[in-house]
Amino acid sequence: MDFDLERIRHVATLAELSLTEEEERRLAAEIGRIVAYVAELEAIDTTDVPPTAHVAGIEPTRSEDGWREDVIVPGLSHEDALAGAPHAEHGGFAVPGFID
Amino acid sequence: MTTSTAANHVLDIAARVQRGETTALSVAEAALARIDATDKELNAFLTVARAEVLEQAYAIDARRARGERLGPLAGVPIALKDALCTRGVRTTCGSKMLEHWVPPYDATVVAKLRAADALLPGKTNMDEFAMGSSNESSAYGPVKNPRDRTRAPGGSSGGSAVAVAAGMTPAALGSDTGGSIRQPASFTGTVGVKPTYGRVSRFGLVAFASSLDQVGPFASDVRGAARVLSVIAGPDGRDMTCLGAAARGPEGDAYEAACGRSIKGLRLGVPEEYFAKGLDPEVEASVRAAIARLEQDGCTVKKVQLAHTRHAVATYYVLATAEASSNLARFDGVRYGLRVEPGRDKRDKNASKSALRTMYGATRDAGFGAEVKRRILLGTFVLSAGYYDAYYLKAQKVRTLIRRDFDAAFGEVDAVVCPTAPTPAFLLGEKTSDPLSMYLSDVYTLPASLAGLPAISVPCAPTRAGLPVGLQIIAPALHETTMFALAAAWESASAS
Repeated sequence: MDFDLERIRHVATLAELSLTEEEERRLAAEIGRIVAYVAELEAIDTTDVPPTAHVAGIEPTRSEDGWREDVIVPGLSHEDALAGAPHAEHGGFAVPGFID
Repeated sequence: MTTSTAANHVLDIAARVQRGETTALSVAEAALARIDATDKELNAFLTVARAEVLEQAYAIDARRARGERLGPLAGVPIALKDALCTRGVRTTCGSKMLEHWVPPYDATVVAKLRAADALLPGKTNMDEFAMGSSNESSAYGPVKNPRDRTRAPGGSSGGSAVAVAAGMTPAALGSDTGGSIRQPASFTGTVGVKPTYGRVSRFGLVAFASSLDQVGPFASDVRGAARVLSVIAGPDGRDMTCLGAAARGPEGDAYEAACGRSIKGLRLGVPEEYFAKGLDPEVEASVRAAIARLEQDGCTVKKVQLAHTRHAVATYYVLATAEASSNLARFDGVRYGLRVEPGRDKRDKNASKSALRTMYGATRDAGFGAEVKRRILLGTFVLSAGYYDAYYLKAQKVRTLIRRDFDAAFGEVDAVVCPTAPTPAFLLGEKTSDPLSMYLSDVYTLPASLAGLPAISVPCAPTRAGLPVGLQIIAPALHETTMFALAAAWESASAS
């Protein structure tokens, strides 16, 4: 499959990455080669093979341990939760405008 | 090996500190001195927590002076991969995105090490967000292999491997998604363990690929790795993928007791697919000699088939990048980490985007390095509308086939033995221009990761040039004890 500039720009938009034109050209070529390599999976017969959901086949509802007790334990304090924020205001995370 | 003296082993240090033959303070000072003397060149540590480790040592010594019984890792310095959150000590994950981030909490494994009276001297270098096999994708420069400084230490937990290989700490924690503990252990001549998926809590491990990530130890010997694993393993209400107490396995967490146990009668499987084209002849000879010695010591050896091994690289790079693209969406410049708000010029170029989305794009472009962007884009693509079934769902089906191969093999044998990596440590810069050739260096570690199985890399005879080689032992899920028994038997056989 051709991994062209248009496709890399679309995927970059989905991934919220602003790429330079040089990056777009380089990444389109590199990812194109990787996608061509992983295409080998197509030829494998997986008729009636279920996809892996969990390697140990464990789902919370089937846990032998059942559910843990619903006990309230201390979480992060408001102050700790905001301590790493690049921009906090009025006790919350501040973001640039998102409605133009 | 020069660093394999008793003074550098986990059990010996803990015993001497517990008995009062040495103090935690003198052990901490020796570790810091060794880091100061060697790490300027090796670049294994991103942060040395000097004041913190001395404070921990004072507290441990004070408790012993009061007559308190100390924990199983009393005074043992353990380096931490910088993907593990440490309260009050910055955690970069090898990325500019988190250059100045100081976590407000400890990862569960870090809290468990503290409770066991370990010393935590610092955070180790790694491939950015654990994406790499050589440590060269770190935003803070590559780690050098102490066995040959022109060579890569492996990755992504290269700094943790080198901290142990160079004798800076007797043990370290890493994380293994597709081989990130075992491959650097192989390249540096250390012991590295990837436990069963779910054996160890991932709470506080910066997520890369959640269906694969698992925390595990490096150590200078097998028993040391067993001791550390017994401390960090176990249920955690904060990680729903962490196995409950009922899933302890046949022998629970008696990992250390398994070391030194007889291996007579254990059935070993040798998968032909792991001795195929691309395997370095010296690595093959070393690994085959180790298997022959285990046979001589009472194991039976037979061939097994793991037919889908050759599809592991493609399967892994679809699944791991898909999960990574989702996990790394959290780095958005809002709650923590880097934030870049471009000036007018750049805004004009993105006139159709809101200021918020322009900030997202600029932050992620500036904060992520080339390999991380490559994987986010690949992962976003394989999950995107119209391609999900062809790539992601298909890979999850092939993953089932890879697991079935192991299920069938473990119907006939107790463990699978094979090389950890197809080559000894490669040169720094050798594979950086070709991402695919870098990915292929993980070909022997990926299958156990995809199947969630426990595996260990233990040093076997080095190459003629003196480069370490790793023997990989893969056990059925929750059978870490079998793996430790074999690894310890080989270690003592190879030392004699």
